[in-house]
Amino acid sequence: MSEIHLTINGKPVVAQSGQTILEAAKQADIDIPVLCHHPALANWGACRMCLVEVKGMRGLQTSCTCPATEGMEVETETEKVVAVRKFVLELLFSERNHYCMYCQMSGDCELQDLAYRYGLDHWTYPRPFEKMEVDASRKYFIMDPNRCILCSRCIRACSEIAANHTLGLRDRGARTMVVADLDVPFGESTCVECGTCLQVCPTGALIDAKSAYGGREKDVIHTQTTCMQCSVGCDLDVVTRYQRLLRVDGVWESEPSGGLLCVDGRFKPLYEKRQRVTGPLVRKDGKLVAAGWNEALGIVAEKLQSGSCQGLAYCATTDEALTAFARLFAKVDGAAGRIEPQVAPLGFGQVAKVQDVLDADVIIVTGAQPLEYQRVIGYFIHRAADQGAQVAVITDDENGLSARAAMTLTSAEAGKAVETAAGAGKVVVVYGTEIKPEVIAALKPLGDEAYILALDPARNAQGATAAGLQPQEPSDVDVLYFLLGEQSEDAALLAKVNGAFKIVQAAYHSPLVDQADVVLPTPIWVERTGHVTNLDGSAKPLHAALLMPENVRDEAEALAALADMIG
Amino acid sequence: MEERMMHQVDETVARYGSTDEALVEILRDLSQQAGYLDRPTLAAVAKKLAVPESRVFSVASFYSMISVEPLGKHVIRMCQDAPCHVAGGRKIWETLEQALGIQFGQTTSDGQWTLMPTSCIGLCAVGPVMMIDDEVFGNLTPEKVNEILARYREQDGGAA
Repeated sequence: MSEIHLTINGKPVVAQSGQTILEAAKQADIDIPVLCHHPALANWGACRMCLVEVKGMRGLQTSCTCPATEGMEVETETEKVVAVRKFVLELLFSERNHYCMYCQMSGDCELQDLAYRYGLDHWTYPRPFEKMEVDASRKYFIMDPNRCILCSRCIRACSEIAANHTLGLRDRGARTMVVADLDVPFGESTCVECGTCLQVCPTGALIDAKSAYGGREKDVIHTQTTCMQCSVGCDLDVVTRYQRLLRVDGVWESEPSGGLLCVDGRFKPLYEKRQRVTGPLVRKDGKLVAAGWNEALGIVAEKLQSGSCQGLAYCATTDEALTAFARLFAKVDGAAGRIEPQVAPLGFGQVAKVQDVLDADVIIVTGAQPLEYQRVIGYFIHRAADQGAQVAVITDDENGLSARAAMTLTSAEAGKAVETAAGAGKVVVVYGTEIKPEVIAALKPLGDEAYILALDPARNAQGATAAGLQPQEPSDVDVLYFLLGEQSEDAALLAKVNGAFKIVQAAYHSPLVDQADVVLPTPIWVERTGHVTNLDGSAKPLHAALLMPENVRDEAEALAALADMIG
Repeated sequence: MEERMMHQVDETVARYGSTDEALVEILRDLSQQAGYLDRPTLAAVAKKLAVPESRVFSVASFYSMISVEPLGKHVIRMCQDAPCHVAGGRKIWETLEQALGIQFGQTTSDGQWTLMPTSCIGLCAVGPVMMIDDEVFGNLTPEKVNEILARYREQDGGAA
């Protein structure tokens, strides 16, 4: 990369070789309008909004695809350029139904903004637009083709970022439209509902079912936090208004996901149906009744000191809470551990980061289902495969990654994956708790060159490890203390719970909560402050986008208060 | 039925090679064999070439020589561009619609005829021009069109 010098609108601009005119202009704070261009997507050059005049070049150039070169003289708002942009906008407005007043994007729409910018004050061309059917077959978002300008951002997001390739274009000319798979309703397609298409749509063609008409950009608050639905720990941009959760967006240029989210992080938490625990509860005369924090904590403190006790945590909470939990049980001489199983180290290789998957030459997946859980890693594997990486899935059951893998092997054939990896550049092994000992033995010849990505099933596994919490089973003690956070217990755990005095700290009601003797409420992801440590080992900050209910306290705070009471 | 289709797909893919680059050729050939590409055929091609269904559909629906909808036994493609238009194309257009009782873009209910507009086919000197399947007809007049249609009907067994 070398420096190049050009002038844009008479202003001297320094750019890097390989940058486009648009990128050079952006760096110099010169605004060139775009519709099909998006910084997270490949340059396209379809919408003709970014046309500029370049001295010495014939015709107008699309600045999003034209490389900046030494000595170039660029003009971005000449009469000629403006006239063409206006003409293109007039055609776009005549083609489909852009009657802004009834569109939920009105006020936040990139197309509408440009119409204002270039002074479209009437329809220049007749509007022959045919009414097209709205596709509401998907739960979380809706496609209204009548608002579509065919910029193809959604298609590129689907194939480049999510590597899912569900979206394409049908037909050509005036009949062109975005379709899924073989032109099936979106809800019946291969769509994985990651919502990336929704986030990049410049108009109101893709509509979020929850936040539509819930508030314009000027009305809402954005809070950046970290996703707690799995251990990948993607950055979230949480959109709220009046203490109401509207929408979750990905954050471009963030690590590790680069803006990609999955249905578990973007949509599902907004459709939570479980009943919230909104204040402390204590069992009186066989019934759980509301109590004050002092009373509830008093009972817990007394019980923890009066007999043998054990603390078991789902790692679904903050680093701070897990540390305070371990500290409390050290103080009362109780055992403390985590409930989820842990992935054991393989004994060879170097620790991989999530993004190591993206530039791998060979990816070996075993004992894990990243497309079902930690989905972003599954999408990253697809992305690497699109770039030519060989994916080998070693499994004796079904694995969603098999469909697009170069090979699917049984445990007995695991050696073949090592053969494939021999001589290849970067080898990444992605594994989970289901990995079999014979597969570990077979993969061992990969040696310390290989990158190893252990998919711990716990959401904040690294935080738990840092706090010294190892997997434990419920034991025969007088007092059992469960730190559940947002995670409802699974049936296997419930079956192992004995007749001990039970303290449960949880955000939602569940059978275990309903059996408890004392229940302490916890905040949920969107109300949390503190940190979570993701798979990459970075302690990522949590910022509360919503206030906790009045009678809820953060676990770390409640656990510290308990420790103080015990003294 | 499905077996036959799978066999056709296998054979066609084998002929052009199982690569992404051969997609257009494979689709065109299959479309010609069966008259159009139904969804199971498109899905089979996608699977066979390991390309996304969305891409197969985009390509198949883009080209006019490939159809993803059932077409009539004969496909009439009438030039809609300016040189044919000024040479009297409008009259031919109307004659075709009247004679077949359908509009452009439609197929007759007996499945005999599909009427489609096309862009210039490079025979402007003899406009107005139309194609019926692979055959080209120039210097068209309404009378000539009716004669041609009658001839085809006769060949097809004297159906009205």
